[in-house]
Amino acid sequence: MSVTLRVHDLSKTYGNGERAVQAVRHASFSTEPGEFVAVVGPSGSGKTTLLAMVGGLLTPTSGAIEVNGRDIAGLNAGQQAAYRRESVGYVFQANNLLPFLTARENLQVISRITGANGRAARQRADQLLEELGLTNRANAVATELSGGERQRVAIGRALMNDPELVLVDEPTASLDSARGRQVVESLIQEVKSRGKLGLMVTHDMAMAELADRIIEMHDGKLSVRGKLAASG
Amino acid sequence: MIGLLEIRRRKFQFALIALIVTLISYLVLMINGLGVGLNEQAGSALRNFDADAIAYSDKAGLSVIRSELSQEQVDRIAVESGAEASAPLGYMAANYRKDGGEIESAAFLAFDPGTIAAPKVVEGRMLTEEDGDGLLVDKSFLRYSGLAVGDTVTISVRLVERDFRIVGETNEGAFFFQPSVYLLRSTWQELKYGTVDAATPVASIMLLQGNGLAGTSGPGWEAVSKSTAFANIEGVSGQQSTVQALRAFGYLIGGLVIGVFFYVLTLQKIGQIGMLKAVGASSFFVFRQVMVQVLGISLAGVAVAIPLTWLTNRAIQQAPNPVPIAFTNGTFITTSVLLVLMAMVGAMFSGRQVAKVDPIIALGQQQ
Ligand SMILES: Nc1ncnc2c1ncn2[C@@H]1O[C@H](COP(=O)(O)OP(=O)(O)O)[C@@H](O)[C@H]1O
Ligand SMILES: [Mg+2]
Repeated sequence: MSVTLRVHDLSKTYGNGERAVQAVRHASFSTEPGEFVAVVGPSGSGKTTLLAMVGGLLTPTSGAIEVNGRDIAGLNAGQQAAYRRESVGYVFQANNLLPFLTARENLQVISRITGANGRAARQRADQLLEELGLTNRANAVATELSGGERQRVAIGRALMNDPELVLVDEPTASLDSARGRQVVESLIQEVKSRGKLGLMVTHDMAMAELADRIIEMHDGKLSVRGKLAASG
Repeated sequence: MIGLLEIRRRKFQFALIALIVTLISYLVLMINGLGVGLNEQAGSALRNFDADAIAYSDKAGLSVIRSELSQEQVDRIAVESGAEASAPLGYMAANYRKDGGEIESAAFLAFDPGTIAAPKVVEGRMLTEEDGDGLLVDKSFLRYSGLAVGDTVTISVRLVERDFRIVGETNEGAFFFQPSVYLLRSTWQELKYGTVDAATPVASIMLLQGNGLAGTSGPGWEAVSKSTAFANIEGVSGQQSTVQALRAFGYLIGGLVIGVFFYVLTLQKIGQIGMLKAVGASSFFVFRQVMVQVLGISLAGVAVAIPLTWLTNRAIQQAPNPVPIAFTNGTFITTSVLLVLMAMVGAMFSGRQVAKVDPIIALGQQQ
């Protein structure tokens, strides 16, 4: 399975009139199959907005987004939810697990939502936990997990629905740099070994260096730098 | 269900909410029990009449106290109403002396043996035409008075005192919030009116059996169904609307409290809800979790309240002078169902809140 993403002339403006904020301006880029891309830039440069549009959480003001040739920009709210459910895996900033559920149950939340919460889902959850080194924490309630463990559970959750795209926003915000690096490394490994497309927003250059390619944002505009060769 | 898992993991928090539901359910159940109990006190004896309709003097405004019928009217009602069977019945309030000598009042109902107005005797024997000094008394009368079948009791009315012997016990209940006592109609006439002549009323009301009797009337009389007659007992309608209002408030407050509780819980979980929606859950999926919780908690609350009410009722009935309270399976069922329904309605506030959550918040847009 290989996934390609094409973003063309994408813009997002919040509000209108004098208070309008152009968060993303005419952004265009494409990815190679199986690529892991980091988006860096100062706070307020539009990284999260870009990620949200690609992930079907925000509707662009103009421009096109294609995932494997399928148009994402024109989806309505219901179609966006279905797209997120079926094709996207999100890793949010720390602490977005359901605190009263165990690690395994947090993964199974996804299969409950998709309505496929059977034995297969449980096996899949256990396998993901194993790959992430969390087998002995499977039955621990989220509040008992360390920050790094929680973030690895969140990675497992993002992979539960076997998505095409894995979208990550500041995954290491709540972790120290050593732990953050471990988490990002295992994230990249999980994503790439499955041939999925990874898009990670971060302000931490050290983390970004781990990606195949770095896209830099400034005032809503894109520039590509570093490791360009890796994308072919 | 994620909602049920949450209850299991946060037992203490949800147990507290269930406790509140239990207390409210208990309150509403007790109010309903009081309503039924008061109604029984108001006139279960009337409800137990072996009749389909009751005829009054048309000057009485459907008041048993004020209705008086002459012999001529009694004879005419029997014919004009078209009743299959009928019988005159007299009513009078009078005092009696308890075992200890205190004065208490009772509702005296007068009948002719062998007619449909005769009550059922559960102990002792029925009155015969020779029992001019005999009484049949209700269970509750024996309990309040401390007297027993075979005892003599002094009745006083119109400054006259007269001794009676209790020959039998009935279980017809109360009338006008007093225990019912049955005596012969001829004795009643003497006690109530003193000298008896051709012009003396012979009955207060007539009991009628047959179909389609409610609403019939003739010169000087009118007949209504037993339930209309009951509703027209002095004090009943006021008492019923009071109980209805209390009950309505109970349901309303129950729904509101649960609604507010779950609304607050939902507000606290906006972030979690945003995450669920961001990974593709519909508002309905999230709302279902809330509803399952409300259903579970309110069922648990009601389930605890029912035995609690039952025990309270038992304790009350053991008291020498019990509060009028009574329960039927119907009370328990309708009250429980209505409370659970109100809880679900209260939870609708949370539904709106859930629908309003924008999944974008999961990304922590405002950093
Ligand atoms: N919901 C919103 N309404 C208005 N302005 C917004 C909203 N979200 C973000 N912005 C603005 O858009 C710009 C880009 O924001 P964002 O995409 O969050 O940047 P980043 O993730 O790079 O910090 C910022 O100026 C921010 O203030
Ligand atoms: Mg951001």
